[in-house]
Amino acid sequence: MTTDLGPRAPAGPTHRLAPIPAPGGPAAPGAVGAATAVATASDRAARIAALTIALAWHLAIDLPALPGAGSSPAASAVVAAAWLVTAAVGVVAGVRLLRGGLPPARRLVAVLLVVDAAVFAAVGGGHLFAGANWAWGGLVWFFLLVLWRRPVGWLLAVLGAHASIALAAVLASGATAPADLARYAMYVYGVSSLPVAVFVGGAAIAALARDRAGTAAATLAVEAERVAAERAQAERRARLSLVSGTAEEVLAALAAGDADPADPEVRRRCVLAAARLRRLIAESDDVPDPLLHELRAAADLAERNGLPIELVAVGVPPELPVEIRRRLADPLTAALTDARDRARLTVVAGPDEVVVSLVTPDHDGPDGSGPPDSAGDADGDGRVEHVHERDGEIRWTQTRWRRT
Amino acid sequence: MDADPVAADVTDERPIGVAIVDDHPVVIDGVRAWLASEPRLRVLATGDDPDVVLRAAPEAEVVLLDLRLHGRMMFDKLAELSAAGRRVVVYSEHSDPDTMLAALDAGAVAFLAKHEGREHCVATVLAAASNRPYVPPALAGAMVGDPRPDRPTLSDKEREALLLWFQSMSKASVARRMRISEHTVKQYVDRARIKYTRAGRPAATKAALLARAIEDGLVRPEEIGIYRSQAATDRPTP
Repeated sequence: MTTDLGPRAPAGPTHRLAPIPAPGGPAAPGAVGAATAVATASDRAARIAALTIALAWHLAIDLPALPGAGSSPAASAVVAAAWLVTAAVGVVAGVRLLRGGLPPARRLVAVLLVVDAAVFAAVGGGHLFAGANWAWGGLVWFFLLVLWRRPVGWLLAVLGAHASIALAAVLASGATAPADLARYAMYVYGVSSLPVAVFVGGAAIAALARDRAGTAAATLAVEAERVAAERAQAERRARLSLVSGTAEEVLAALAAGDADPADPEVRRRCVLAAARLRRLIAESDDVPDPLLHELRAAADLAERNGLPIELVAVGVPPELPVEIRRRLADPLTAALTDARDRARLTVVAGPDEVVVSLVTPDHDGPDGSGPPDSAGDADGDGRVEHVHERDGEIRWTQTRWRRT
Repeated sequence: MDADPVAADVTDERPIGVAIVDDHPVVIDGVRAWLASEPRLRVLATGDDPDVVLRAAPEAEVVLLDLRLHGRMMFDKLAELSAAGRRVVVYSEHSDPDTMLAALDAGAVAFLAKHEGREHCVATVLAAASNRPYVPPALAGAMVGDPRPDRPTLSDKEREALLLWFQSMSKASVARRMRISEHTVKQYVDRARIKYTRAGRPAATKAALLARAIEDGLVRPEEIGIYRSQAATDRPTP
């Protein structure tokens, strides 16, 4: 028995389920996983069916043919051994297929072709077209098994080799009469057509299933995005109504003369309402950025405590790990807690650098943000610097991340 | 604040004529009140149509233009006025970076966000009248965060000065932080602005800003890749 194809055949465990090529073009990225799952499930049923056909055929049709096969006891032994080898190949391939992998095609095809040649040689001229020559129809199902999910060209090539072996045997036995050749052609056609149909049909059904699942998943993804956008919009609208409510109150009081523009408290309310409106208007991000979201939440909180705060963001922060985001935002949110009078929170972001800064008027109180860890921590994603200083005029807290 | 009294050129008797174009009378009145506090400025004409306003006061040296008039963004008008040599200071509530940079590209001498207040407004108009740059904090933020691949190349110091100015809105604090003088901070910021005269299509106002910057010694021609004087023309620089 030859296994000289061994080195080129990939080792067993690497024969994982190859993704089925999507016929309908690229699906949404998130949809691919789901589509593959559906295709895998549908393919599994086809694997079981093919395996059942092959083994049932081998047991119900090939096995009973064995006693009559072989022109001599030695030849009979060869044919029987070939049947056993084929059964073993079927079991190996079947186990692989049921576990979701693919059988080592080259090796098993080589084994099957050797079996093929041995059986044709052993049955001899008299039985070439007899039921005893089980290799005719029995082996093709095993070709189907070992070539599962490989290109259909491979199957056609192997069936071609099968037909060539048969032709060589036919010619070698001297059966060259037109009737013999016609019979040969009929046999080749008869034994090949059904497996090819099953093979192509199975692949097509799996591809269809994947396609349909991909479409469904993409539809779901679009729907999820829509829901998220709607929720964000609703949230923004809710905040707008809250904010414009307070603004309206102040304006109405001013218009009615109940509030005096010279009153510092009234001015303060105006400043707060204006700052809040401006921040809301500045929220132009459709996909909420987590860093901006955190800072905005901190700003909202500070504002609820009566601090007019301005939040200006330039640029879109790149996707940052939680740890980096935390180091960027935490010193600022801490500094916000002892800000007085007003605060200006800015974010300047580019793909390789994000700088967050909080500036508030300086006051005599102690620093609430703790000692700055300005040394930063170098890690795989770059480092975050933290600078905190007060110069009598302003208190300035800045964190800066740079991609390293 | 850091309103730099661009004194040198505006100490002569004749005040600087300003035209205000806005479609909200309340804004016009507000800006007029702001400018009235500065004796070197005089508002010559106001209205909601730039053509009408400039027909009424063709001698206006600075035009304060609201970027959005009657629901329409006025970039074309801005480019037309700038190409004709009008010093247009755009002021707008649309203070997103893209809009600001687009206004600079179209030839605006300066961009002022409407919430930036009186000091910046007066300083910007005074600087514009003498073809000098003035970069309010919001514009500094837009410049330092400019994501466009063809943005002007700024030096590290220029970037840092812009960034800190945007963050703190206090040139004194920036100076302390960078351990340089306030004057040097302003130079870094203004140099960055001058580099933007090369972005977008050429305009007479950009050439004038650049020429004045070279004259003032703010930049050397070779620093911004100009090897012969472009002072009198608005040819695109190589």
